[in-house]
Amino acid sequence: MRIATSQIFEHQTSSIDNLTALQQQYGDELSTGKRLNMPSDDPTHIAQDLSLHTQIAQGNQTGDNLANVSAELTTVDGALSSVTDVLQKARALAVSGASDALTADQRQAMATQVDGLLGELVGLGNTQYAGKYVFGGTAQLGAAPVKPGGTPTSQVTFSGNLASQSQTLPSGQSLPTSVTIQQAFNYSATNGTADAFQTLIDLRNALAAGSVADTSAAQVNVPGTSLAAATPIDTAGILATPIVADANGNVNIAISSGTAPNGVTIAIPANASMTAVLAAINAQTGATGVAAAFDYKTQKLTLSDAAGQPFQVADVASAGAPAPGNFTTAFGLTKQADTTNTVSGMIGDVDNVLQVALQARTTVGQTIQNVQSLASLQSSQVLNNTAVQSGIEDADISKVMTQFSQTQTALQAAYGTTTKLESKNLFDYLG
Amino acid sequence: MSFFPQGSFFGIGLIGKSLDAYQLAENVTADNIANVNTPGASRQQVQFAQASPIVGSPGYAAHVAGTVGDGVTVSKIQRIHSDSYDSMFRGATSSQNYYSVQNDAMTALQSAFGDPNAGVATQFTNLQTAINQMVAQAGSGQSASVRANVLAQAQALTGALNASSAAVTQQKAQTLTQAGTLVTKVNGILDQIGALNSQIRASTAVGDSPNTFADERDALIDQLSGYLSTQTSIQPDGSTLVSVNGQALVNDAVVYHLAAPTVGTDATGSPVFKIDFATTPPALPSAPGIPLGSGQLAGLQDLYNNKLTSYGNQLDKFASGLADSMNRVTEAAYDQNGQPGTALFQPIVGTLQISAGNIKLGITNPAQLPLALANTAAGSLVVPLNSANNIVDTSQPLTGNGNLADPPAAALAGTLTVTVDGAAQTFAYSTAAGGNAASIDAFISSFNASHLGATASYDATAQRIVFARDPANADLAHRAAQGANPTDPTFTLVDSNFAAATPATSLLGVLGAGGIDGVVQNASNAFGANDNGGANALLATFSTTIGVPALQTTSAAAAVAATTMNVALPPGVTNIAVGDVLTIDATTGGGAPQENVVVSAISISPVTGIETVTFTPAAAHVAGFSVASAPTQTLGQTYGNIITQVGLDGQTVGAGTTAQTTLASNIDAVRQGISGINIDEETQNLIKYQNAYQAAARTMNVLDQMLGTIINSLGVGQ
Repeated sequence: MRIATSQIFEHQTSSIDNLTALQQQYGDELSTGKRLNMPSDDPTHIAQDLSLHTQIAQGNQTGDNLANVSAELTTVDGALSSVTDVLQKARALAVSGASDALTADQRQAMATQVDGLLGELVGLGNTQYAGKYVFGGTAQLGAAPVKPGGTPTSQVTFSGNLASQSQTLPSGQSLPTSVTIQQAFNYSATNGTADAFQTLIDLRNALAAGSVADTSAAQVNVPGTSLAAATPIDTAGILATPIVADANGNVNIAISSGTAPNGVTIAIPANASMTAVLAAINAQTGATGVAAAFDYKTQKLTLSDAAGQPFQVADVASAGAPAPGNFTTAFGLTKQADTTNTVSGMIGDVDNVLQVALQARTTVGQTIQNVQSLASLQSSQVLNNTAVQSGIEDADISKVMTQFSQTQTALQAAYGTTTKLESKNLFDYLG
Repeated sequence: MSFFPQGSFFGIGLIGKSLDAYQLAENVTADNIANVNTPGASRQQVQFAQASPIVGSPGYAAHVAGTVGDGVTVSKIQRIHSDSYDSMFRGATSSQNYYSVQNDAMTALQSAFGDPNAGVATQFTNLQTAINQMVAQAGSGQSASVRANVLAQAQALTGALNASSAAVTQQKAQTLTQAGTLVTKVNGILDQIGALNSQIRASTAVGDSPNTFADERDALIDQLSGYLSTQTSIQPDGSTLVSVNGQALVNDAVVYHLAAPTVGTDATGSPVFKIDFATTPPALPSAPGIPLGSGQLAGLQDLYNNKLTSYGNQLDKFASGLADSMNRVTEAAYDQNGQPGTALFQPIVGTLQISAGNIKLGITNPAQLPLALANTAAGSLVVPLNSANNIVDTSQPLTGNGNLADPPAAALAGTLTVTVDGAAQTFAYSTAAGGNAASIDAFISSFNASHLGATASYDATAQRIVFARDPANADLAHRAAQGANPTDPTFTLVDSNFAAATPATSLLGVLGAGGIDGVVQNASNAFGANDNGGANALLATFSTTIGVPALQTTSAAAAVAATTMNVALPPGVTNIAVGDVLTIDATTGGGAPQENVVVSAISISPVTGIETVTFTPAAAHVAGFSVASAPTQTLGQTYGNIITQVGLDGQTVGAGTTAQTTLASNIDAVRQGISGINIDEETQNLIKYQNAYQAAARTMNVLDQMLGTIINSLGVGQ
């Protein structure tokens, strides 16, 4: 085949050009460490690569977020732990306060201690994490939400709201980052029971011999039903302990107290409504000093003596009946109402709010565990994604080094050949 | 004497001819050697022929013709050149240039875009990360800096979009300029070819072979083929007809110049780059332009029409979808002060649609970044729904449920009218067994599945139903109902059965939500400043499928099943392309008659600029049905597709350049093999002709001596 002279030079030039370009490309890959520098380097994988960038960045941020949630929940858990401590101390005080052997001064000292515990509890209600009130809900709060009012504190107000604080992960899963004041302190409970603050206030008042009360030991209704104001108290299926009337169809009671030492009989027909029952008892308040109230939310009956005088309640049979009805049993009342029994009855209330706080702690604990496993899952996902991304983007250094040196060798050979080829032609040998 | 050489003076003329011949041959050889490096020079070969033999003259006895030769003449100086390889070479050159001109542009464009290390994708990722961070920390003491970071990243994203859009626009402008320069060059080449044609024709007419001119002309046509596809056909008079895909460029001496490149419109009304012939009057914008075939001009045309315009449109669609989806969230939320949020992304020029070049940040004050959604749990209008101290089991039926404060005595049926974004949509409920509100759980899941822009949930501790504004829980049917109404952070529920005195007769009453019946839930009664619902909803937009571009319109005409129909789009939306998917007749829950259709044709009116799309729906639809972009991919996937396309195009032109360059050089090697000049050959020719010349000169000497003998030695008087 004929080769034109100009072709010899052109061919060598283009070979050297190509090898130089190749050497440049491998050199770039080695110096950047990446083989994917532009979309055209690997268009089938570029979209996946971009997506991996995002997933890795999100994964790292989510990991940080989870650490943050964990820290906040730990703070909340710490606060709840302190709350349970406070409530347990209050319980201990209530237990020792429910003793006849104490003097009024001793009880007063206990009341003061309870007041101190109340102050601690208010402080715990205002726990903050990174400038946010953890029990404040979603309200914007310029000042602490839990505020005591009155001297001594007679009520505690809350200026936050009951919406729960939460955080959503990119996967759409929602994590609670705290508990509401309702969950922690039984505030505004849906079953009507008192919150932790009110419980301590009531305990303090009882210890200070402010009042004596005889309250139903437990809710009187069957769960799923409720005793309404106009409902006859002997309606079947409502009271957990049904009313059993005496032979005359009554469930009379007798109340005796300091002002009525011989007792005043209150006539209560078995089919009376709660309104009528309360009216009957309260009609005799002047004589007995004892007033009655029924909390339709908690479904408990309370007889109280505002003067703090002890009193007794007993079932009495109506005239001609051999045995009395079971009013006091059905409504869970104790026979003797005095400061000791009142304080003793409050142990149940303290137990109630203690239980609520413990439940909140359990919830927080479970969330912390959940967050920890999410965090470890997240970090292993990030690791996997990083490995995949590296596979797409990074140059295989050993392979590129080999190719680089191969190209260098070829280039040197091309240089050598060029000078040899182009140096001689027939013209040089003309005579 | 019976033999006289006649006519050549004793043979001296004969030898003289050979001296001439060999001198000419040496000249030709010298010319070849001189042009060894001239591009396009073909080697010229001298063809010797025996001179016409001596014929007997009428006065003498006849000699048979052809018995006595009369020396050598140069019959022709043959140009060794293969035209068939020319056309192969020109085809390969055209292709090589077609790809290489695009290769440079695509490399520059990819650098300007910056992906995967910088650019829009990176900024988009940064924005997602910043919002993810905000989801964790808003409401805490660091919220101001976190919010500021989100705005900074959003700003960077708009900057990246603007930059990418500008890169495309610049590349388009450069393409036009570059093509303009090339057209000027092409016109110059055409003029030269025309001039050469006349010279060659004149020369051929008198019997010469104008080899040098032919070489020049071929070299020029080779150059021309680098710019556009050329076909040549040599005419009998020696001139060459040069045409591009059947349209004449040079016909003998008549030259048809190209006009400067322009942006006209194609059959659908979309802008296209084209080149016409320079005519008076100039060609119309709607005229189809010259079919350039291959070469640099065709490469620039392909780059402009099929790549740059497409990338620009897709970037615009992405920007439009991004802005719309995030604006719908920010406008549905409240900021820290209870003020309704504004659009996060706004157009730079307010009268035009949002596009990649026309997008900027609409919120600059971090405190005004709206992150709180209206939520009844933050207020007190919704009360606990339990009776006394009971705990409600949300999976139990509502009817006669003693744990409820206001249980319905019998099954309830009615409608909840949910007003969100100015659109009132109805949710029909039934508390009967098996109905969609038979229990609280059933109500919550069926309500949320209706995607009405509000979400229901249950707070077990507070025993309250919770209704919250949720822009992430809206579907195309809601958007269609919203129409042109602005997005709004409030929501209102109205129960058709509600009566305040008898809560047990309406669903809202049973659920303890009678207090919100007909009451607009807004910043005054359902607002917690530290509610982070807006941030959560913003984060959710990144994993939701979004239709691009943002399109929400209705069709004035009804649709007939399996019949093609046209729908005019709103002004400003002009980048829906053939093959895009639209969702029509959006229905709550996505069931029939909602369907997806594929755009089969588009047309943009030159007068109004309004785009009309054509599609064939499978079913019939009532007039006024909604038309929206089908949400088929997330924003990240949408951008990933754009970059994949850029990458594929870049790889194709890069590979094409390499392949065609190799092909062109291989063909040229064969071509040069035929017509190229080889110094070794020419050297041999030099020596050959020199020897022949020397021999002829010697022969002349001998003949001269012989003549001298005759003249000096023969004859009278010696």
